Amino acid sequence: MPRFLALLLALLVAGPAFAQPAAQSSPAQSVVQTDNVRAELLSDVAAAKPGEPFWVGLRQTMRPKWHTYWKNPGESGLPTEIAWTLPAGVTAGPIVWPVPHVFDIGGVINYGFKDDILLLVRITPPATLAGDTFKLAAEANWLVCEDVCIPEEAKLELALPLAAAATPSDPKTRALFETARRNVPMESPWAARYGVSKTGDPTLVVEAKGLKPDTIGNVYFFPAEWGHVAAMAKQTASVTAEGIRIPLRKGEAKTPMPAALAGTLVLTEKTADGTVQQAFDVSAKLDPAFVPQAATLAAAGGEQLTLVQALLFALLGGLILNLMPCVFPVLAMKAAAFARLAGHERSEMRRDGLAYTAGVLVSFAAMAAAVVAIRASVGDVSWGFQFQSPVFTLLIAYLFFVVGLNLSGVFEFGNRLAGVGQGLVARGGTTGSFFTGVLAVIVATPCTAPFMAAALGFALSQPAPATVAVLLAMGLGLALPYLALSMTPALQRLMPRPGPWMDRLRQFLAFPMYASAVWMIWVLTQQTGSDGVLYALGGMILIAFAIWLLRIGSGSSTSASPGTWLRRGVAAAAVLLAFAAVLKIDDSPATAASASGAATSGVNFDGWERFSRARMTEAHAAGKPVFVDFTAAWCITCLVNERVALETPATKKAFEQASVVKLKGDWTNRDAEITSVLKELGRAGVPLYLFWAPGAENPKILPQVLTESMILSELSSIQQAKR
Amino acid sequence: MSNFSVPRRSLMLGLTAGGAALALAPAAAFATTSPDVGKPAPLFTAVDSNGKSWSLADLKGKVVVIETTNHDCPYVRKHYNAKNMQDQQREAAAKGVVWLTTASNAAGEQGAVTPAQANDLTTRRDAAPAAVLIDPQSKIARAYGATVTPHMYIIDAKGTLVYKGGIDSIPSSNVADIPKAKQYVRVALDEVLAGKPVTEASTQAYGCTMKYPRTST
Repeated sequence: MPRFLALLLALLVAGPAFAQPAAQSSPAQSVVQTDNVRAELLSDVAAAKPGEPFWVGLRQTMRPKWHTYWKNPGESGLPTEIAWTLPAGVTAGPIVWPVPHVFDIGGVINYGFKDDILLLVRITPPATLAGDTFKLAAEANWLVCEDVCIPEEAKLELALPLAAAATPSDPKTRALFETARRNVPMESPWAARYGVSKTGDPTLVVEAKGLKPDTIGNVYFFPAEWGHVAAMAKQTASVTAEGIRIPLRKGEAKTPMPAALAGTLVLTEKTADGTVQQAFDVSAKLDPAFVPQAATLAAAGGEQLTLVQALLFALLGGLILNLMPCVFPVLAMKAAAFARLAGHERSEMRRDGLAYTAGVLVSFAAMAAAVVAIRASVGDVSWGFQFQSPVFTLLIAYLFFVVGLNLSGVFEFGNRLAGVGQGLVARGGTTGSFFTGVLAVIVATPCTAPFMAAALGFALSQPAPATVAVLLAMGLGLALPYLALSMTPALQRLMPRPGPWMDRLRQFLAFPMYASAVWMIWVLTQQTGSDGVLYALGGMILIAFAIWLLRIGSGSSTSASPGTWLRRGVAAAAVLLAFAAVLKIDDSPATAASASGAATSGVNFDGWERFSRARMTEAHAAGKPVFVDFTAAWCITCLVNERVALETPATKKAFEQASVVKLKGDWTNRDAEITSVLKELGRAGVPLYLFWAPGAENPKILPQVLTESMILSELSSIQQAKR
Repeated sequence: MSNFSVPRRSLMLGLTAGGAALALAPAAAFATTSPDVGKPAPLFTAVDSNGKSWSLADLKGKVVVIETTNHDCPYVRKHYNAKNMQDQQREAAAKGVVWLTTASNAAGEQGAVTPAQANDLTTRRDAAPAAVLIDPQSKIARAYGATVTPHMYIIDAKGTLVYKGGIDSIPSSNVADIPKAKQYVRVALDEVLAGKPVTEASTQAYGCTMKYPRTST
């Protein structure tokens, strides 16, 4: 900043003595043509009102292939500067910079603009400003480069009439300003922090939780200043459910890293209608506790993997899955069963190992098929998608609980339920082993996402055969240790002999199972809010009660006495009731984000009614204008639209004046009713904006990138129709 | 990866090792890398405009200045037109400093010169470097990560890079700014010769973009 001030000062003092008389600048005018740039001073008002701020813009129209620079020019170059000469009391703000581009000039990285750019400056005339007109004089200087660099300057002048009310300029100019404003980064809706690695390289984390990695691309962080972050040709950002992580390279400055690292974050989001670019001004706080590992650098970007690499990662990942806290209980159970088998025929061991592997692989294949099928119909799938469904989460919690009770010895599974563990030996192991494999996969999926991101991202974004191959490779990895054990007699000899310790082990293993159930309930609260705990724990009590009832019966009589039937009936009712909680939970998935206290990242309903088809139809039938906003917590474009177009004071006021019924549909958890509406309108996802004018037969579908003026003009058109 | 929120962070802790094992993807290669101040300066050998060979290794015991140049660059012209560059070259020579001007823009680009042109420029501009190195393959510039002309470097008697950055503190093409600017190189040289550490050892260089050979990136 001192540099900037010094330069500004220098310009003011010695401006006319510029070495490069590039512009014929003697009679100042609003347009100056230099060798490489046409510079023009524009205003978004035709007449200004004293006391009311307005915008002016320096427009640079460059020769093809030439570029001027952003506030941080990168590894070379200089930013455009404007020195103002203004009537007393009139103030000019700093340049409000549009989103820059990256230029790679033979390996030297620059940040700047090409073709045509409007640099915005806010002018505030004092309320006391008198006269018919006032004059804005700007001395602009810039460096413009293609292969060679040329400093140029222009003296520009704009005379504006003063009026009692500001009048907007001509539509063409207004359109230019509108475009320029849209091109300015908005304040980041997310907090950000950064840490410094041992080598001094900073890593930025933007805490945009819950984004969908496969829809986010081209992430780039433009540091606002030279010095602490190097200008890089390419940044390998990774998008996880935690947020956006951008490993950077330290800059040339030797001063300590700042308390806050400022810059502009650019990314593109794939939406149903195409790709949208978004830009945010980020200020990341230095987090001394965050010391990024150099190795995490490479965990980024699934698209950089080849199929072979992805298969290898998947296999490795599957192996590592065996150490996951969530798979561990199942695996431990398997180990116990295996110990029991020890000493049996080798062929039996082998059959057992193969059955387990088959169970794992079939489950992965089923999952792959589901992924491919869902992708074909919906468009995209995230890993762990099944856990998006609170019902699934609840059922898994029940399953863990019941398996835990079984391990504790509360009851024994009957032969018919031989699937999960106990009936293993009785059934000769094969079927049991198969289902243990299935169970291992079911509980493994929530564990995989965080660290298998690269291979999974690859799998989910690939054509069907590659998806299947990667998922199967992962399954093979998961099954491999056990398979190896069952195939290798040498390893088997290392296993301990069966004995009473096995019962103790089995009872002990109940506890990790209970812990897993607790964890699933926690997940459930994230999805459904605190009510989920009530339903889940209540359901568990009912299940335990049912098991107790059945146990009373199972001991005594073989023929069914009326008492047994009664107990069975009550037990069935209890189980049914436990599963009824499922319905209760499924009813209200939309409350997820708001109820769990994660309101900051959830969908905000302030001033909006919750969408339902009935409410929309009813309001429309009543002759009211209806605006529908289909949104999701993970949709960046939705968020941006809300900030710049839907929740601005002007739009809110206009909505109110036109008595618009504002409905918001939250698709964060794939609400079925909203999905059906989207489908009817031929949309695969959000954002989607509908506007029903009163009496209109069909809603108008607004573009997926909204502007305030777009909404205002829609609303004013119905106001006019009314008159 | 998904919308589904679990305590990833706690899981991640346990997984760092696994993650590291998976991190086999190649890291991005950077176009220009600049040696750090305080580290040994990259060695080079180059031929000057009079056919004499210069090697940095032979200059141990002497303080060396490297100045990248492009005589057609307005920022280089600023400092030569104002005699700022020549004055500093003479001051340096008087103190026993070896000042190497290097014409490192790639052959065929603006600023690339033949030995004869280089000598002609030295005469016309009344310049006084110890030598003008002819570097049409940009080897020296690349070794030092130069991004602009003029980009300035100071190497102490032990061969350590002690300064890199701009010639002065006001990035403009205006000659009138020179007296107002802090002359980084002059200040740093005085500090080095006095045996003191350089206060501002890495500054923002300004000027015209360095023109590297097109094929090599």
